[in-house]
Amino acid sequence: MADLTYVALKLVGILFAFFVVMTMFAYTTLTERRVLGFIQGRLGPNRVGPQGLLQPVADLVKLMTKEDIVPQKSTRFVYFLAPFIVTTTALMSIIVYPFGPEVHLPIIGTFPMVIARFDVALLYVLGVTSVGVYGIALAGWSSNNKYSLMGGLRSSAQMISYELALGLGLVGVILQSGTLDLYSIVEQQSGHLGITGWNAIWVQPLGFLIYLIAAIAETNRVPFDLPEAETELVAGFHTEYSAMKFGLFFVAEYLNMFTVSMLATTLFLGGWNGPFVHQVPWLGVFYFLGKVIFFLFLYIWLRGTLPRFRFDQLMDFGWKFLVPLAIINIVFTATLQWAGVFDYVSKFLKTGTGWGG
Amino acid sequence: MLLCVFCGLDSSHHSEHRENNAMLALLFILFAGMAVGCAISVVAQRNPLYSAMSLIGVFISLACLYVTLAAPFIAAVQVIVYAGAIMVLVVFVIMLLNVEEEERQPLRLRSLAPIAIGLAAVLFGETAFIIFFVQTSPATPAGGVSDVGLTSSIGGGLFTTYLLPFEITSILLLMAVVGAMTLARRGGLLPAGAGVVPGDQVFSKELLDRKDIGDLRAVETHSTDEAAHLLGVEGEREEGE
Repeated sequence: MADLTYVALKLVGILFAFFVVMTMFAYTTLTERRVLGFIQGRLGPNRVGPQGLLQPVADLVKLMTKEDIVPQKSTRFVYFLAPFIVTTTALMSIIVYPFGPEVHLPIIGTFPMVIARFDVALLYVLGVTSVGVYGIALAGWSSNNKYSLMGGLRSSAQMISYELALGLGLVGVILQSGTLDLYSIVEQQSGHLGITGWNAIWVQPLGFLIYLIAAIAETNRVPFDLPEAETELVAGFHTEYSAMKFGLFFVAEYLNMFTVSMLATTLFLGGWNGPFVHQVPWLGVFYFLGKVIFFLFLYIWLRGTLPRFRFDQLMDFGWKFLVPLAIINIVFTATLQWAGVFDYVSKFLKTGTGWGG
Repeated sequence: MLLCVFCGLDSSHHSEHRENNAMLALLFILFAGMAVGCAISVVAQRNPLYSAMSLIGVFISLACLYVTLAAPFIAAVQVIVYAGAIMVLVVFVIMLLNVEEEERQPLRLRSLAPIAIGLAAVLFGETAFIIFFVQTSPATPAGGVSDVGLTSSIGGGLFTTYLLPFEITSILLLMAVVGAMTLARRGGLLPAGAGVVPGDQVFSKELLDRKDIGDLRAVETHSTDEAAHLLGVEGEREEGE
């Protein structure tokens, strides 16, 4: 019986997380277009519903009802498989993020707001993300179109290169927290008012910066959106995709943005930590989502303001700047950890009695 | 298939499931069947890209098996290193070279058949040996969840008991990187003063001076030196605009 309750609770959790993430996806697209409109001195979509609030619904109906064109010389099976790989892998990593602290519900009892908690959660996220590369590469290859192929190749090269910087940027946090379990890493970041313990502020500012840049490249967003550079490649790897299959790539791009934003929030911005979380645990969920939305806004802001890199600049930046910087950060963090500086600092931040001894 | 990984990992942290032998057996049959099916597909496919994709399937099934064996760290590393890094490079190369479907050439490797049969016999012998020893070995101590597969125990082992093999492996990998770079640069360096601008094309003066420019043909070369020789720009390299 306990097992059944457990499974039911997990299923409800998965459905709820799926619903929240999909709603966020729909309204991120709308927000993106409105904010870009604001940045570029125009209105953006505001016709469907009040302030354009029903625009995502209209977009969905449009994508569902459009003709689905399959290129005759495409490799059929792989062509159909690719969008599913991309979307599935993007959705899979959402189960490991702690959305909030332990909350208490009547009947069910106390449970932590995380769907799956296990020893290697961080590695699981990295692994699932790395499998997602196949979707894009195979989409480019199977379309039998030179622009798609170029887009797919560029994308895989870019994602392999920046995965390295991304992973190395995270090593500092792992060294310092001593665990790969995301829930414990968040718990370690509580401090005065739930703010002073954040990794990004005190102990890993460099790692945070490296992760943020690499994450933008990893999600193929501006200024690293070379795989779909319109001026050179039409639409890159998804040139030949239409209707809902294009829609799935679109969903996956935004889901990947959520994933890296959630990881950044969890590892660097204290996850659900914030003022008064210990008194009112439900606040944690709102802090978490608020921080994720901050990162999403950052993405849109960057898209509105920055030009695109050239491909050789992209590679130079990743391999000759970010990777060495991340290695320096690891050596530096390891030295401080070895000298016991972090223990001292975190003791002070958490209890306020560190200076006294 | 990918969702199965998720199911496997999700149950891994839930120790009650570990007691459930019927469920473990079911998962083992599922993932082992997937691994064997994909492995057969690797050798049976004629298209190299399909073979590579099947191999990815093998790696992911193996990762699932590691999860059911309570080794989540190995499972994650299996997915990241093999499925996520090595196979991406393989797929990348296949796509870049656009390898065509292989023609059926049944006679070419016929002479290797005795060796293959011998190796298969050795493999079956090894399997029988292992099964024999597993059956005669003492049962694992009852009670207390093993922490063998956990990240902390693996890290502790690598940096204390097995430090020397670990360091030797890293030196080996470093040698492989240096070797790869040396091989890649073997084609010879460009003439002095020349730098390659990505996207730029190099033409010889004679080619550009010709009126019948439509007659340009692509010539395959294997090194920069050879290309420079063909274009007649050895020593002094000129760039046409």
